[in-house]
Amino acid sequence: MMEIFNDLIKEKMYKYEHESGLNVFVMPKKGFIKQYAMFATHYGSNDREFIIPGESEPTHVPDGIAHFLEHKMFEEESGSIFEEFSKNGASANAYTNFTTTAYLFSCTDNFYDNLRLLLDFVQRPYFTDENVEKEKGIIAQEIRMYDDDPSWRLFFNMLGGLYHVHPVKIDIAGTIESISKIDKDILYKCYNTFYHPSNMVLFAVGDVDVDKVAEIVNDNVKSKKRDGHIKRIYPNEPSKINKNYVEQKMSVSMPLFNIGFKDNDIGYGGKRLLKKDITTQICLEILAGRSSDLYEELYNDGLIDTTFDVEYVGEVDHGYSIIGGQSIDPEAVKKALIAKISSIYKIDDADFYRIRRKLLGRFIKSFNSVESIAHNFISYYMKDINILDFTSVIEDITPDDVLDRFKTYFNEDNCVLSIVKP
Amino acid sequence: MSIIKENMANGIELYVNKLNKFKTVTINVYISNKLSHETAKFALLPSVLRRGSFNFKTYKEITKHLEDLYGAMFAYSVYKKGERQIAQFKMEIVDSTYLKEDILEESVKFISDILLNPLILNGGFEQTYVQQEKEKQKNLINSRINEKTKYAVERCIEEMCKDEDYSIYELGNVDDVDKVDEKNLYEYYKKAIKSLPIDIFVVGNVDVDNVKEFFNKHFKIERTNVEVIPDTPILRKIDKVKYVEDRLDVTQGKLTLGYRTNVNPWDEEYFSLLVLSGVLGGGPFSKLFMNVRERESLAYYAQTRLERFKGLMLVMSGIEIENYEKALEIIQKQVEEIKSGNISHYEFNSSVKALVSSLNSIKDSGTQLADFYLSQKLSHTDYSIDDFIKKIEEVTIDDIVDVSKKLQLDTVYFMTKNEE
Repeated sequence: MMEIFNDLIKEKMYKYEHESGLNVFVMPKKGFIKQYAMFATHYGSNDREFIIPGESEPTHVPDGIAHFLEHKMFEEESGSIFEEFSKNGASANAYTNFTTTAYLFSCTDNFYDNLRLLLDFVQRPYFTDENVEKEKGIIAQEIRMYDDDPSWRLFFNMLGGLYHVHPVKIDIAGTIESISKIDKDILYKCYNTFYHPSNMVLFAVGDVDVDKVAEIVNDNVKSKKRDGHIKRIYPNEPSKINKNYVEQKMSVSMPLFNIGFKDNDIGYGGKRLLKKDITTQICLEILAGRSSDLYEELYNDGLIDTTFDVEYVGEVDHGYSIIGGQSIDPEAVKKALIAKISSIYKIDDADFYRIRRKLLGRFIKSFNSVESIAHNFISYYMKDINILDFTSVIEDITPDDVLDRFKTYFNEDNCVLSIVKP
Repeated sequence: MSIIKENMANGIELYVNKLNKFKTVTINVYISNKLSHETAKFALLPSVLRRGSFNFKTYKEITKHLEDLYGAMFAYSVYKKGERQIAQFKMEIVDSTYLKEDILEESVKFISDILLNPLILNGGFEQTYVQQEKEKQKNLINSRINEKTKYAVERCIEEMCKDEDYSIYELGNVDDVDKVDEKNLYEYYKKAIKSLPIDIFVVGNVDVDNVKEFFNKHFKIERTNVEVIPDTPILRKIDKVKYVEDRLDVTQGKLTLGYRTNVNPWDEEYFSLLVLSGVLGGGPFSKLFMNVRERESLAYYAQTRLERFKGLMLVMSGIEIENYEKALEIIQKQVEEIKSGNISHYEFNSSVKALVSSLNSIKDSGTQLADFYLSQKLSHTDYSIDDFIKKIEEVTIDDIVDVSKKLQLDTVYFMTKNEE
């Protein structure tokens, strides 16, 4: 059992590797009532083509299958696993994103029983022709809900502008057409490929006992044999953007926009990615954050309002920044933004240190909630980052790093404007 | 866990909950008003106040100050609980244990400055701030339509309570926003800050005496004739169910059913109602999830929501448009099942346990704790979280059936697509 400690935030985490290859992490939080566990696999909507260990030919799967599989895992021969969690007063859930499928529960009682349930049901697929068909109606309504959601459309239209062939441009849930092709055999195939303990991670947080968690893992995780690795096949994405403008009409009151910047400095995880991630966040704050000159100008000109926000998403094989909100004139916002970027030739020390303090404070605050700890942990883990490294990495960043990132990353050529118009 | 109540010299009630498990200290200031034709004006106040104060003239200065305070979070929101409109000012700062300095007094000073020490020029607020925030508020009111799931529920409530103050949107309407200017807003502000009820909740690892001292020192204001906001009328007899349809550019239909519960927030029956709502649509164990989603594959979501302070229960779902009749029938059938006592032990026990778990979870969040205490105050009850849990655990299946008899369907709302 390995101990990881962060002195600044006074948090401790334990790491344990089960013989199956499953990595287990536990963060005890004394005094917290809620307990939370996540069992996640490194498998998301981006995994559309891969070579199964032991095979030589690639397998192509229908879009939306990782998400479909997530839905189907809750079904058991005896009914729905929700029932067992509900009887314990626990609430179970799951989500699928581009890289990860995660199963989770939160409870305030019976933690160890719930943990057993979680490990069991995720290791026990049960798909029949009938239950697969039934799920198509439910997921179709989920897809329709997102089709009517302007922010979601805005986001995917932006990704479609940034990427030519990268699977991140495809809706996580797929389409009603693509999910119609899913059957139980292909679900089992994906399950057997990606739901192997060596491709998974378990994270528990709350007032729980580390040894007891390890004991339950030992008793409930099966050591399946596996030869070789999954080979994930991704198409070759050009570094240029696909389109610099995308628009869609929907029933909204005024235009919504996302300005996206494609990041081509990719292909690595770990501390190097974490450093890039934080550096880019600092860039965005200095450029267009709430205390920036640009924010003040745009706000005073009535071009943006409180919905305006900035964000960076850095994954191992892709990355992008989003600057967005609602505006009467998104083109003007983009123009002002590009002009601002080209005028930056130095980083003001005061700005830099103030933003760094802010990000540090936000990091400390995120350890207030077991949910946010678990979600951040899993998201960083999938990029080979330990979240507790945040404080040492942020200390290491200099104003020169920020300026460097500005010069190499933010420019008009890799920028797309996505608009949803009334 | 206990909360200490202090009455400040100016009649403001200050509640402090000292807990050392959090990484932050949360300060919540609530100002309450009655929903009325002045709702738009009241809703505009927080956004104008946070644009600039006497000490921090611009939003940029404010933001820089907050960033210097280790990214202290300062936010406001305006919402309603029953026919009471509430402006909430929230500040969350990192606990000094994790810092090299103590920023609590500085934070109390800041929140006081924003609220009590506004930027005033020529007897009014800064004109450009008022103009800009008015535009923003109108945009926010108009953009309610963007989030269809939420909007469908709001539209149902609006139609249901057409002739009651509860139908007033929490940010008011566009016409009322237009009537506000920097002078009349300032006059209104002076009256509001003097006479509207203000409650302050502080949760975190703090010294109670320090908190009291800081607020007495910085949150200084003369207060006179503090208004009493009347309780919201709840009881209502329904003669005929209203059917309302909106046509929009959507692909999915949103079906919302509005029920009158005829239960007051302080009634003992409220606890039975909570369990009832859970059995009907409180989670994957509920009748709606099992029947509308799992058995019939009609919806991705089908759930209930209680509006405690107005005595409403909303049932909401997103369905294929042609399934309207079928979904409506199945939903109503689930309510009938409850009325006739067809509640399984599984549905009942799971609902109780889910409620107990979510009540216990409140103890892990400073903001949720503050909201819990505020709700206790507004319902004239004095339950601790553990008392509340005990009450839930005492509810029986018979109690649910009894309270279900009071439910009356008032409005069926359907958001559907434009005809081609």
